[in-house]
Amino acid sequence: MSDSSTTHQTRTGDEPAAPDPLDTDSVVVTRSLTKIYGSGDAAVKALRGVDVAIGRGQLTAIMGPSGSGKSTLMHIMAGLDRPTHGTVTVDGIEITGLKERDLTQLRRDKIGFIFQSFNLLPMLNAQENIVLPLTISGTPVDKSWFERLIGIVRLEDRLSHKPSELSGGQQQRVAVARSLVGRPAVLFADEPTGNLDSRRGEEVLQLLRQSVDEFGQTIIMVTHDAHAASISDRVLFLKDGMIVHDHGSMASDDIYDVIRSLEGVCPADANGDGDARSLAAVLCAPETAAAEVVGAAAGGSDGDGPGRAER
Amino acid sequence: MMRVALRNLWQHKLRTSLTILAVLLGVAMISGTYVLTDQLRSGFEDIYQSAYKNIDVVVAPKPAFGESFEAGMETLPDSLVAKVEAVEGVTTVNPSLSALGVLVIDGEALQTMGSPTLFFNAAPTELDSVTYYAGSKPDQSGEIAVNRDAAEANDLSVGDEVAVGTQNGAVPVRISGLFDFGSEGASLGGSILVVGTTEDLRDWFDLQGVVSAIEVKGEGTDADALAARIRAAIDYPQATVKTGAVSAAEQTQAVGDALDSVLTPALLAFGGVAVLVGAFIIFNTFSITVAQRQREFAMLRTLGATRRQVLGTVVAEALVIGVGASVAGLFAGLGVAMGMNSLFKAVGADIPVGGLEMAPRTIIIGLAVGIGITLVSALVPAIRATRVPPVAALQEGAALPPSALSRYVPYFGGLLAALGIGLLVLGLLSQGSVTDRLLQMAIGGVLIFFAVATVAKYVVRPVARVLGWPVDRVDGSAGRLARENSMRNPARTAATAAALMIGLAVVVFVAVFTAGFKSSFVDAVDEMAKGDLIVRTQSGGMMTALPESAGEAIRRVPTVESVSGIAFQQVQVEGGATGAIIGIEPSDMKRQWEYRWLDGGSDALLDELGSDTAVVEEQFALDHKLAVGDTVSVLARSGKTADFQIVGKYRDPNLFAGLTVSTAGWDRLFAQRDAVFYLLSVEPGASVTATQKGVAAAMGSYPQAIVETKAEYIDSIVKQLNQFLYMLYALLAVSVIISLFGIVNTLILTVYERTREIGMLRAIGASRSQIRRMIRYESVITAIMGGVLGIVLGTAFAYIVTTQLGAQGISFTVPPVQLVICLIVAIVVGVLAAVLPARRAAKTDILAAIHYE
Repeated sequence: MSDSSTTHQTRTGDEPAAPDPLDTDSVVVTRSLTKIYGSGDAAVKALRGVDVAIGRGQLTAIMGPSGSGKSTLMHIMAGLDRPTHGTVTVDGIEITGLKERDLTQLRRDKIGFIFQSFNLLPMLNAQENIVLPLTISGTPVDKSWFERLIGIVRLEDRLSHKPSELSGGQQQRVAVARSLVGRPAVLFADEPTGNLDSRRGEEVLQLLRQSVDEFGQTIIMVTHDAHAASISDRVLFLKDGMIVHDHGSMASDDIYDVIRSLEGVCPADANGDGDARSLAAVLCAPETAAAEVVGAAAGGSDGDGPGRAER
Repeated sequence: MMRVALRNLWQHKLRTSLTILAVLLGVAMISGTYVLTDQLRSGFEDIYQSAYKNIDVVVAPKPAFGESFEAGMETLPDSLVAKVEAVEGVTTVNPSLSALGVLVIDGEALQTMGSPTLFFNAAPTELDSVTYYAGSKPDQSGEIAVNRDAAEANDLSVGDEVAVGTQNGAVPVRISGLFDFGSEGASLGGSILVVGTTEDLRDWFDLQGVVSAIEVKGEGTDADALAARIRAAIDYPQATVKTGAVSAAEQTQAVGDALDSVLTPALLAFGGVAVLVGAFIIFNTFSITVAQRQREFAMLRTLGATRRQVLGTVVAEALVIGVGASVAGLFAGLGVAMGMNSLFKAVGADIPVGGLEMAPRTIIIGLAVGIGITLVSALVPAIRATRVPPVAALQEGAALPPSALSRYVPYFGGLLAALGIGLLVLGLLSQGSVTDRLLQMAIGGVLIFFAVATVAKYVVRPVARVLGWPVDRVDGSAGRLARENSMRNPARTAATAAALMIGLAVVVFVAVFTAGFKSSFVDAVDEMAKGDLIVRTQSGGMMTALPESAGEAIRRVPTVESVSGIAFQQVQVEGGATGAIIGIEPSDMKRQWEYRWLDGGSDALLDELGSDTAVVEEQFALDHKLAVGDTVSVLARSGKTADFQIVGKYRDPNLFAGLTVSTAGWDRLFAQRDAVFYLLSVEPGASVTATQKGVAAAMGSYPQAIVETKAEYIDSIVKQLNQFLYMLYALLAVSVIISLFGIVNTLILTVYERTREIGMLRAIGASRSQIRRMIRYESVITAIMGGVLGIVLGTAFAYIVTTQLGAQGISFTVPPVQLVICLIVAIVVGVLAAVLPARRAAKTDILAAIHYE
């Protein structure tokens, strides 16, 4: 992993990542998102007041240990789940109060998905799978866009193949093309490399990167994989339902350190270079530096619901 | 979306074809019923068309009630013939004579099994409805001609010496010709037609001074006008004058109505059971596949598919299956029609049939039923598919949230059961028409099936635990896994078992019901018949009743102590419904029959039975609202009426259910006293066997007579009932076969679902044979569950029905052997159903299964 982090050296840097939530160039904006599952003693707080704005044309990675709330955050941002409190705006539309029908319309117009397990229809061939969102919404296929897409995902000679006749990497490339065919305002990728070996995973990541760089696609990616996160323009770390770290492009080693610190393993050199390392150090010793971290991590948010670690 | 549906069906060809088959068979039975009854109708139509093809006008006796085609043998006075001949425009007249008799070959009466042997006189050529293909029309006494079916079936040819059984004993005759009736090669079923000379017919069947009908050929005038002139000329209110065309149409119509009121609904009921079973299978198959495809539906939702679109893909699949199954079912219906026809033939009910035809009505109903039932059954699973949340696409093993209504399911089931039982009892007890009552009972039964099916999932665990115990014991790991597997998804196991339950419940109901009927009938004969021998006619019906002369012949046998001839006829009671009237010889009957008198009556009542008094069976009294002391007025077909004062009441729902009058009373209504059977007792000390031989010898000129001991009689009745029962079983077997497909389908889907698990089992050392046994045991456990539910439910139905019908002479008797056979059938179904899925499971590739996504 560390070898490939150099690939993205150009994009790693210390520029401030989080745009202002009120910035009109934010595609997804959440305010004070809280999600509580169950009730009474069995209540589980999956999200505890998350405020975040996802910039247009950016690849944002959401990371965090299991149970940190990262999947819940993505589900709510994508309109698949409803928050207990708070609001979500997607491309200017407040979605938290939308009816079923409007949510469906939203998915057609604004949202694309890439799944860990590809989720292609086994009975349709690659081409049919790619244009499926258009088939569903009854939209004609934009031929030149389709041609361009399949050129990018390099599936020209696989279009008539069924998913069972494609490799995992090819299947995920079909899924990427499918998610882009409708030019969604935001594309959610749920562990897109989770079911792929590192080489196929790399191909898919390059595709995502390419779609951001070439088409200005906005992508929100939930991942466990530090390398996958390292191609992002911004990395959000969640723990216990709060954003504990919000940072611009990071090298995978740095991401790795943060992850380990979130999991309670402190890096050997807690005072290494860069924000991430210092953050890792802080997380390991919250009682000393928590306040400063909150300021940095909340990325200029108004400060209610302090996104702070409890341990 | 349609493409998704079609491709999905295509990808799972086996499952699709089994599902199609489940609907197809039901549709085939329904369309087959219509094809068959249409065939019968056109068969009769052909007969009537041919019979009347040369006849312009027919003058026929008008029965006082009932349809003319069932009216039997009413006559007109001979004097009318001359009046008809005198009418202007009449060129030829045939004083037509017809009668029911018997054809005797080598001393043996020809068995016609229900179809009549019809005698008629040779008509003048202009009016003849038959075409001779060999020999010629009989033109002198002692000559007859017979129809092609009869000739070919019995290897008869011109010149053969045979005999005819007549009103006055057997008469030797010679065959002068063979003829076709109706269009060439048309089947008359098993009917035998015999043509003799007019004089012979008069002698043989006591038709002096009368004619059965007057057939007229006219000239230069249209038939309607001719009919009107004849009607005016004869001025005879007891006759109808119709054109040949109208007569043919009316009689065809009458046969059609009879088919529509009895045979069609009865056969449709079996089709209905098959369709119901098919519906369960559709429901179950779609439920399972929807559960398995949750992720797919969720993914479609994330891509922007509406709930309606998801519903659409599932409904589209159902539509394709429904259309495919219905179309194929229609064609299969042609086969079913032929099958049912041969089934009828096998049990001796040989009926004339025309060519196979598929009427538009058949096509419409077949398609509507097949497509409708598939769509309706798939609707609940399809709606469930729409409830898959999009987020399930991102979650491993997401489970459907239970419906808000699911906790009411037990109450709903209870409500259905209560409603079903209510309708069942209402149907049994209400006073409505038979069709309405049967329909109420059928709907009640169906509701109970649904009720049991909805709550069955709650008993799956305990029952599977019990049923699985022996296999667990006998076959350790495979048995235990099978038992656990069958409990894993109780709703699925329950629905699969329910399909088999329905078929078997109906089988058991029929078995228990007939057992009750059989035993009460046998008991009744056993207890009430005091005599030693019974002389009856072959067909057991009124068509070939034994004339009084036969009774005299029996009396002349030296060791016969007493004889009682029993005559049956239908009469109209108080201008309303028809009922049976029974003519007995009271003093003899007393010695032959142990009446069960009610209201303090005794055999003394028989001694008092005069020409204007009667005793009545309880049920008849109830049906016609009669009480002891009332006077009842009855009307015979001939138009004669008589009043009888009711002096006593007895219980005998099986044999003498009707109004019993003495010979003197009988003679007030009927010209002839032809007995359907004779009961006789043997002189004390004389040998029954020897007497039986003696009586048989005395019956030499009555070849249709059968002389039996009481035990032999009971035996032959039981045999007939069994034959009928086997026919019902054959028709119900279709439903059981459909449920077998259902089990196969469920198992195939289950094996597919558990590919990874089975691979894992193989990886840790399970042998192929263990995997096969595991699947087989699961199948058998499911099948036994369906069998046990079916047996319990069928027995319960029979219990309800028989207890309510107790007064009609049907008791509740459980036939243990049949029930055990049903259970064995269930086990066999389970074993057979498992063959294919078990083979598939055993073939599971370990590596592929573990990597299986």
